Amino acid sequence: MDKEKQVYSMLEKVYDPELDQPLTELGFIDQVLVKDNHVKVVFRLPTYWCSPNFAYIMAEDIRKYVSEIEWVKTVQVHLLDHCASDEINHGASAGKSFREVFHNVSDGDLEELRKTFDIKAYYARQEKLMKYLLKMGMSKEHITSLSLQELNELSLPEDGKLLREKYLEKKKVFHHSSTFAITTPEGKPLTEEEFSDYLKGAKLTRLSMEFNAHYCRGLLEARYNLSAAYEGSLAK
Amino acid sequence: MKLFKASNGEEIFIIDAHIALWDGSKENQLNIHGEQFISCFYDYHKNLSPKEYWWPKDEFVKYSPEKLVNDVFMEGYVDMAIFQPVFLKEFYKNGFGNFDANEELSKKYPNRFICNGTFDPRHGERGLEKLEENKEKYNWQGVKLYTADWYGNSKGYKLSDDWSKRYLEKCQELGIRNIHIHKGPTITPLNRDAFDVADVDDAASCFPELNFIVEHVGLPRLEDFCWIATQEKNVYAGLAVAIALIHDRPRYFAHIISELLYWLDEDRIIFGSDYAIWEPKWIIEKFLEFELPEDIQEETGVTFDLEVKKKILAGNAARLYNIDIEKQKEKLKNCQLSKWIA
Repeated sequence: MDKEKQVYSMLEKVYDPELDQPLTELGFIDQVLVKDNHVKVVFRLPTYWCSPNFAYIMAEDIRKYVSEIEWVKTVQVHLLDHCASDEINHGASAGKSFREVFHNVSDGDLEELRKTFDIKAYYARQEKLMKYLLKMGMSKEHITSLSLQELNELSLPEDGKLLREKYLEKKKVFHHSSTFAITTPEGKPLTEEEFSDYLKGAKLTRLSMEFNAHYCRGLLEARYNLSAAYEGSLAK
Repeated sequence: MKLFKASNGEEIFIIDAHIALWDGSKENQLNIHGEQFISCFYDYHKNLSPKEYWWPKDEFVKYSPEKLVNDVFMEGYVDMAIFQPVFLKEFYKNGFGNFDANEELSKKYPNRFICNGTFDPRHGERGLEKLEENKEKYNWQGVKLYTADWYGNSKGYKLSDDWSKRYLEKCQELGIRNIHIHKGPTITPLNRDAFDVADVDDAASCFPELNFIVEHVGLPRLEDFCWIATQEKNVYAGLAVAIALIHDRPRYFAHIISELLYWLDEDRIIFGSDYAIWEPKWIIEKFLEFELPEDIQEETGVTFDLEVKKKILAGNAARLYNIDIEKQKEKLKNCQLSKWIA
């Protein structure tokens, strides 16, 4: 695999925290430049005003994942056309913390924020899986009592497998000790009575994230005059 | 002037609760932020409007009051409209919105407009006095607050700040009852969720006599907004932005309206086109035609019929602004715009 492709495959792991989708799919990666062992990743966002904290999370993750490639010596992150481009580019490329860069307007780092979005992504992925299982004919009782092992052993069609994989990937982040497959983000199993209200709440979170994703994609397209086809090819 | 007739022949009275007359022109821009702000609006415009409604950019940055009257009333089916101005004084020399320009138009076409104002709690004591003066001068019934506006080094404020509360107290005292809030990003502390709507919860429970209309239904935090709105009965959903999805993403719009009806009920949802980002004409045509897809309707079990639509398009806003729709129709009969029925 050539170097540029290696970088792109690492960038697939970088997610927009708010949208829970990879930057490569969203069309946020403008270009990747490789010179010897030095990499520059140029990225862009749907508006000049996109929140600098979300942008910083993405910039940090770009640097983190690309740095994991063994031949990479330095990673320079470059955010285009943004109200805080200078601070973000300078800070993230130098590996500085968010607090150091934005000390005047923040009172901490981004860990809490990352956690907030992990929880949202957890609800959204979980709701999709739960709805899928319901559609397959599984009862509420069965879903709430399902163990992790049983979930893993369920024979599912391809689309179901993907939902399960995405959900379990996010579940790992929380280090739950319980063996129940479907729990709250805090690791608490659901009762049958709680099931419907829980699902309704999770649905709102999923809708909100999906709305944001549609909106952001559309804005990026309008901002950079991308046709849908061109945007699709960028994702490859 | 075009009136919208439902399939049963009924003429539908419409209040557009979110319009603006702005100046984003090069001459008025103070810096790159001013240029980027209006460009961002233009991207919203192009992203969700049907192609045949795309404006050229030079027209979009600054348009005439005559164009507004034409697009909103003559072509747009709207009977009354509410101005929701924002300052943006750090980006534009004379500000983005302009109270006097709104007022002038309102005088020219009596009974057509409600001119809301705005304030910035970071203006301190001086701003409180100014608010009183403005109430006296313009008789504001409502204000539009843009919590993401910049002021000096500050990149935004919260409704739960001490100064915000003093201003809201003043609103209560002066009888400015309708607080329209736009939540935008970049609010300090920046390490938190920049779109957090929790401060609306706080303000709404502190000031039960005021109505809090959350523009853009708290998007991109619909779930937090719905949660707050179920707790606080004086919190309303302003449909601007969300309703513009009706053309490009109709299923998303269906999901959103169905959730809002489920969590808030039909009496707390208010129509706004967000003109000139989007023209009311196509939005209203599509909204009145719109039916919830069966699968989405079944999930929440809500009703979305003509009666519900009429509440959203006028009834709910009329209640907040003390408008008697039947009396208003009488008053508007002799308006010069009504005489130019197309």
